[in-house]
Amino acid sequence: MSKPTKKMTLSKKHNLTGWAFLAPGALLILFMSFIPMFRALLLSFKTGVGAAMEWCGVLNYVRMFQDAVFIQSIKNTFFYLIIQVPIMLIFALVLASILNNRNLRFKGIFRTMIFLPCATSLVAYAVIFRSLFANNGIINLILVNLGILDQPYSFLTNTWSARIVIIIALLWRWTGYNMVFYLSGLQNIEYSVYEAAKIDGASAVQTFFKITVPLLKPTILLTAIMSTNGTLQLFDESVNLTDGGPANASITMSHYIYNMSFKYVPNFGYAAAMSFLILLLVAVLAFLQMKVGDKRD
Amino acid sequence: MKKKVLSLLLTGTMVAAMLAGCGGSGSDTGNSGAAADTAADTGAASTDNAAASTGDAAASTGDATGGEETLTVWCWDPAFNLNAMYEAEKVYQKDHPNFKLNVVETPWEDVQTKITTAATSNDLSTLPDILLMQDNAFQKNVISFPSAFTDLTGSGVDYSAFAAGKTAYSVIGGKNYGVPFDNGAVVGCYRTDMLEQAGLTVDDFTDITWDQYIENGKKVLEATGKPLISMQAGECDLIMMMMQSAGSSLFNEDGTANIVNNDTLKVVMETYKALKDSGVLVEVNSWDEYVGSFVSGDVAGTINGCWIMASIQTAEDQSGKWAITNMPSLVGASGATNYSNNGGSSWAVTANCQNTALAFDFLKSTFAGSTELYDNILPSGALATWAPAGDSDAYGVGNDFFGGDAVSAKIVEFSTKVPSNITGVYYYEARDAVATAITNYINGSSIDTELQTAESTVNFNMGK
Amino acid sequence: MYLFLCIVSFISVFPLYWMICAATNKSAEVVSGRLIPGTYFMENFKNLIANQNIGRALGNSFKYAIILTVISLIVSSLAGYGFEIYHDKAKDTVMSIILLAMMVPFVATLIPLFQMISSAGWLNTTIGFILPTVSTPFLIMMFRQSARSFPHDIMEAARIDGLSELRIFFQMFIPTMRSTYAAAMTITFMNAWNSYLWPKVIMTDSSSQTMPMVVANLTQGYVTDYGMLMLAVLICTLPTAIVFFCLQNAFAEGITGAVK
Repeated sequence: MSKPTKKMTLSKKHNLTGWAFLAPGALLILFMSFIPMFRALLLSFKTGVGAAMEWCGVLNYVRMFQDAVFIQSIKNTFFYLIIQVPIMLIFALVLASILNNRNLRFKGIFRTMIFLPCATSLVAYAVIFRSLFANNGIINLILVNLGILDQPYSFLTNTWSARIVIIIALLWRWTGYNMVFYLSGLQNIEYSVYEAAKIDGASAVQTFFKITVPLLKPTILLTAIMSTNGTLQLFDESVNLTDGGPANASITMSHYIYNMSFKYVPNFGYAAAMSFLILLLVAVLAFLQMKVGDKRD
Repeated sequence: MKKKVLSLLLTGTMVAAMLAGCGGSGSDTGNSGAAADTAADTGAASTDNAAASTGDAAASTGDATGGEETLTVWCWDPAFNLNAMYEAEKVYQKDHPNFKLNVVETPWEDVQTKITTAATSNDLSTLPDILLMQDNAFQKNVISFPSAFTDLTGSGVDYSAFAAGKTAYSVIGGKNYGVPFDNGAVVGCYRTDMLEQAGLTVDDFTDITWDQYIENGKKVLEATGKPLISMQAGECDLIMMMMQSAGSSLFNEDGTANIVNNDTLKVVMETYKALKDSGVLVEVNSWDEYVGSFVSGDVAGTINGCWIMASIQTAEDQSGKWAITNMPSLVGASGATNYSNNGGSSWAVTANCQNTALAFDFLKSTFAGSTELYDNILPSGALATWAPAGDSDAYGVGNDFFGGDAVSAKIVEFSTKVPSNITGVYYYEARDAVATAITNYINGSSIDTELQTAESTVNFNMGK
Repeated sequence: MYLFLCIVSFISVFPLYWMICAATNKSAEVVSGRLIPGTYFMENFKNLIANQNIGRALGNSFKYAIILTVISLIVSSLAGYGFEIYHDKAKDTVMSIILLAMMVPFVATLIPLFQMISSAGWLNTTIGFILPTVSTPFLIMMFRQSARSFPHDIMEAARIDGLSELRIFFQMFIPTMRSTYAAAMTITFMNAWNSYLWPKVIMTDSSSQTMPMVVANLTQGYVTDYGMLMLAVLICTLPTAIVFFCLQNAFAEGITGAVK
């Protein structure tokens, strides 16, 4: 009977070691995220102007579903999520597997160039995208010269084109970012697996779906959850590229929450309530993704 | 194992320090002085890092001791507002050699974020003594955070010397909360060489109506192929300028929204649509593109607050080809004039200012009492709203870029004729709602439906 | 394949080219859409130096970003390792709860966080800058996910050799996971370098301003000098690009064999 006892104490010891390892990180998150979140949660049941707040029950939570602009912002945000995230992740995965090829030349240069967009400071990125899609910008110049358009099209002031410009901007900015995770994830896969597949006569496409995707599953889950989270909290593009326009056609939830906090007469109770709706939406989506993707084999 | 213990210990200490922090903030006292003291103690006790920087932090709040004559100021734009503050410091130092300013460059959006954060947290100790505030945000901030600002009514500043329309921005409940600073009087700027091609001069744009403006614009469009004006789509700067030119506002005296039954607003929207439909006005996507349109000669002019002239003058090759005059007036609106205002800002004194006597005296003797200061900052393009400054010789000097015209004196004259209107606490909400309305109206929706929607959006935001 | 990569790279790099052009042209030329390098670089540089304290802002940004990155990597990788290597049901649940922390927009927690940091006296300090983001659910999860590929047999072998758990982490895990660390370092550095909303709330003093705050200062005037602005933006972008370039070999070239 001595053996099982020893094993139990050992696993108990490992269990405790695990907690000790994760304690600093977890405690920091507890204090720096959960305590503020708890206070924000209390705030979401209050209403008032500025610092003078009173309890109001679930009023803020009822209110948001009567708020036409907020509902519009939910629709816009989900549109970005559904279109942009899958395209971006697939594209990033493809780029990563191409750049993981040992025989490819100038890999470092290519990688750095593709990563550059997300390192670009937001100010420059916004000015550049606005000027690219301006009435006299390069995109219009090219399209007019090719005869596709008769006259310059005002991309940022028309409903659908404004949304599409935001999606293009997001793809441009974040594909390289996600590629980084895939590239580093690929290093944990033995390269010999690929060589073996090649010898077996597997095509590039087969290798991609049969080897790369399954082995990268933990990383794909990570990026999927992060992108979902990032898109549902999307702020920069809406503020800097279109300012939510035209007529709120491209405004995101976070942008509206920010306006409610800092641009308009501050109503932090309502802003907090809307923020918790975002939490709920992301949590549900992340939970679904975890259910599908977070299985240990 | 030792390392583990050590790391746990460290974490423990950190947590304890933070708990202490939470406790302090939990009691929403609003006694900022005491909070700052505790803060300094905690900071010094916790880590080297914090201790090293505590000194800076204390200095930055500027409310140190009564004996020192230092004021902390937040404002933005080095060439303009910061420069004005430094010049004011020099002027004031002549009589007060110990006086010092600590000017922290802070963009307007950050000033707003910091005011909101500090006031909502009941921790005003982070605010400076004096800050610059956008005129349009004055009502909102003072009404949302009444305890964060100091009433200047009895400060000795002579408000009768300022343009009435300008002072009105910072009057809340009959009390003055701001010392007016830069001028936002609207000017019509025109490329005289382009007008010439259409057989027009700047006189054809002086004291005119928008109908005449459109007629003239069509001639310019025909002769040069260039629109007369560009505007940023989705921003209603021009709409608000037109509204104020007839003394109209989006709010009533009692603070209720005045949108659906606002006849002036209807005239304004129709005028804007007519401008766009005729091709005389072209909408652009962003501020950069707007500036680009006149700097690169794609449009024959613009209408905006007089501060826009500084951007126009970056196109050095167009020197001598520009002229300014007043703006067109609305047709069919009661009280229509050729004058309006856009932008501009005023100085506010925060409740964190410990030495209010010094702050009052400083503002009184500089921005509200020194022609020397206004003469000194004139080269930067900062124009006074303080009437005595306009009489100074410096304002009568011609500007070669604008064909030798004495533009400064002209603008000060314009600013005295601007009708005052009600900004409203919910100014930004109403502005955005109207911007949405005009976008939809241009795209074919009916004006009444859109105004109805806009008013209900604003009412919703006001909690109605 | 090279053609495809070249097209993608061109699209990615175009803005950098644009920035370089803009930084060497006059403001009026930039807004007119001039796309060839000009001769105005030195003027822009002189104006920028006269206008803003770039050196101090760069120094601050480097200090904050480096300290944050180092501490953040240690704390988060320890936690991620703890969650995965010793995983059980309770720890998986805690991990899911921790993930919730990133799902609320920062704007909502800004005020409570500010109260905590302010009353602790940490405004305008490095510790105030780093504390809210030193441990992030994102990094913890990233290390947790990659720890899944850390071979268990190596651990068992090390334990039999009598190595303590902490030494296994430092001597076996960190070297094996070099690529993950390099990727995490790049991302953390970039996020710290570019972070803006938090510093703008807690940094109330000129002497603690960061590079993105300086860039924001330049956009606020009645007149924007686009040439000068783009030069500042270029200076602000380069460090992250350089960090990436230096680290990319570490995370993208396998280091197989290190622990075999």
